[in-house]
Amino acid sequence: MLARYVVRRVVASIPVVFGVTLITFGLLHATSGAFVPGLELNPNLRPEDIIRIRNNLGLNDPLPVQYWHWISGLLHGDFGRSLVDGSPVLRHISDRLPNTIELTITAILLGILISIPLGVVGALRRGSVIDNFFTFLSVAGVSIPSFWLALLLILLFSVSFHAWGLPWLPSGGAESAFGGGDPIDRITHLILPATCLAFVYIAIWSRFTRSSMLEVLSQDYVRTARAKGMSERRVTYLHALRNSLVPLVTLIGLELPGLVSGGAIIEIVFSWPGVGRLALERALQYDYTMVLGLTTFVALLVVVGNLLADVIYALLDPRIRYA
Amino acid sequence: MADHLLEVQDLHTVFPTKDGVVKAVDGVSFHLDPGETLGIVGESGSGKSVTVLSVMRLLQRPGRIASGRILYKGRDLAKASDPEMQEIRGEEIAMIFQDPMTSMNPVFKTGWQVGEPLRLHKNFDAKKALKEAVGFLHKVGIPEADKRADQYPHEFSGGMRQRAMIAMGLSTGPNVLIADEPTTALDVTIQAQILDLLRKVNHDFGTATILITHNLGVVAGMCERVMVMYAGKVAEQGPTEDVFANPKHPYTWSLLRSIPRLDAQEHEPLRAIEGLPPDLINPPTGCPFHPRCPFRIDRCIREMPPLEPVGPTQLATCWVTQAGRDLNEAAS
Ligand SMILES: Nc1ncnc2c1ncn2[C@@H]1O[C@H](COP(=O)(O)OP(=O)(O)OP(=O)(O)O)[C@@H](O)[C@H]1O
Ligand SMILES: [Mg+2]
Repeated sequence: MLARYVVRRVVASIPVVFGVTLITFGLLHATSGAFVPGLELNPNLRPEDIIRIRNNLGLNDPLPVQYWHWISGLLHGDFGRSLVDGSPVLRHISDRLPNTIELTITAILLGILISIPLGVVGALRRGSVIDNFFTFLSVAGVSIPSFWLALLLILLFSVSFHAWGLPWLPSGGAESAFGGGDPIDRITHLILPATCLAFVYIAIWSRFTRSSMLEVLSQDYVRTARAKGMSERRVTYLHALRNSLVPLVTLIGLELPGLVSGGAIIEIVFSWPGVGRLALERALQYDYTMVLGLTTFVALLVVVGNLLADVIYALLDPRIRYA
Repeated sequence: MADHLLEVQDLHTVFPTKDGVVKAVDGVSFHLDPGETLGIVGESGSGKSVTVLSVMRLLQRPGRIASGRILYKGRDLAKASDPEMQEIRGEEIAMIFQDPMTSMNPVFKTGWQVGEPLRLHKNFDAKKALKEAVGFLHKVGIPEADKRADQYPHEFSGGMRQRAMIAMGLSTGPNVLIADEPTTALDVTIQAQILDLLRKVNHDFGTATILITHNLGVVAGMCERVMVMYAGKVAEQGPTEDVFANPKHPYTWSLLRSIPRLDAQEHEPLRAIEGLPPDLINPPTGCPFHPRCPFRIDRCIREMPPLEPVGPTQLATCWVTQAGRDLNEAAS
């Protein structure tokens, strides 16, 4: 039943992905980029050469034909080649993806591990000083721009700590340029960007857990659980928490596309060699195949993320049927 | 005194709110003996649920017991610690609620939930608790209990869920079963089945039962004694037969007259109780029923009558009947 549901959902999402590619394609062609940046500036090329190169790249074909070439390649798993360096788009993505996954998964795990207890405590002690403090933190978390927080963290933990002679954290990159790459080295590089990214997740998810928990705690079945004589701890963590996590799962599942987009700013500030930074770099260079490929890739992630969330949702809540 | 299984003395339960302190239960006293069935009736908001939730110490925020004693086997539950209450709930006193559709946790299997009190209180392991739970599901009339135990609550009908709730309450062999409007959310035929089941439980297991209901017919059919509540206070209490035949409080009297009767004269209008239930934050002076009472005397407006014996078997809070007047006679 689950397998059939997954297949049906995948089929249903094909038009969505197609739509995204069409829109992105249209938007990119509506901009005034030359698509092969710098070609005209090369003094060794004659105008005929430029026309020939553009012809060879298919850039002078009618738009539908161009789109057709690109999309039929995509159907074979070919995302095309970068117009800037000529290497396959997919190779760029697969080079950068592990870094992005490392960063985002760490941030999401941190987010889950911290936000759920914060939300639960906030709900159990609603109105208390500690609850108000958490509320303050989470308002701060959503309103502080992450690039600003990132700069502050760098200033404190990299610059000032260094100046004070304390153990300091690297301010950028995924590993040290010289002799780096061992786990310890990678983790020290990971700490600041992951914390920064997790901060936003914690802010949102802890609020969400709190309100969801409050709602569940007022449910009749929680009263039933208490009436059976179980401890408040068991009531909270066994009977209430599981129910209140069901909607949170969807929220977290929707964060999966953030693997690429959500962390982009953080990746840029911390020079993290991930997919988000790749997208920004290439967009600034008019690398249109690259941007098209990355957008499509994100669209696929959105679809997978939603599907994953729905499946977990159904596993947590037996009332959900795969309909 | 300590002979009663459960004895509530002058219970006051309040809800401090923004608008003022809601005196939801305002000086309620009653008792319950082993094996008997006590009915609690009264209009919506009269404090029936709050009374029994106080006994279970399951009041919702911001509710709290302001004063009074709740003696269970001589122990005062009003002062019991949380761990002590956890021992009592589900093991000594079990409770089932109005809406079976929302009273079970949707994410756990029914058998698991029914067996939970056994795991908590009797230290049964999961397997043994499940086996026992299936046995109880069977006893409360759920067909194919072993299969049903493996299903989730949403796969049960309302009546079946209420049966499962009863099984859950009974599994530990409690001395008291509190049922707060257990059939209100069910349709009529199912109501009758559930009430039959409660009667059978009371009979077979000797579980003393407190049954809250709006249905006076149910009280007449099931309860040896009845307590009538009005505005958080006891209007009257006594053996069901006596109270129904010869009410000693004008509220009971009006309530009984407001039931539609099959043998009524044609075109005889239904006699609703006129006026509105009182505000529990600023209750009227004296007896809370006086603004609606057809028998009112001056004293009722000034002073709240105590709960005192009226006649050989009943207790009532009414100056009129305590002075010896008979309501049925006075009205005719
Ligand atoms: N959580 C709460 N906060 C404030 N007031 C409350 C709360 N719970 C109950 N009350 C008040 O207590 C009063 C008694 O409520 P209760 O639920 O005991 O009535 P009831 O007799 O059980 O009515 P019903 O027949 O509708 O179930 C109500 O008037 C209500 O205003
Ligand atoms: Mg009630």
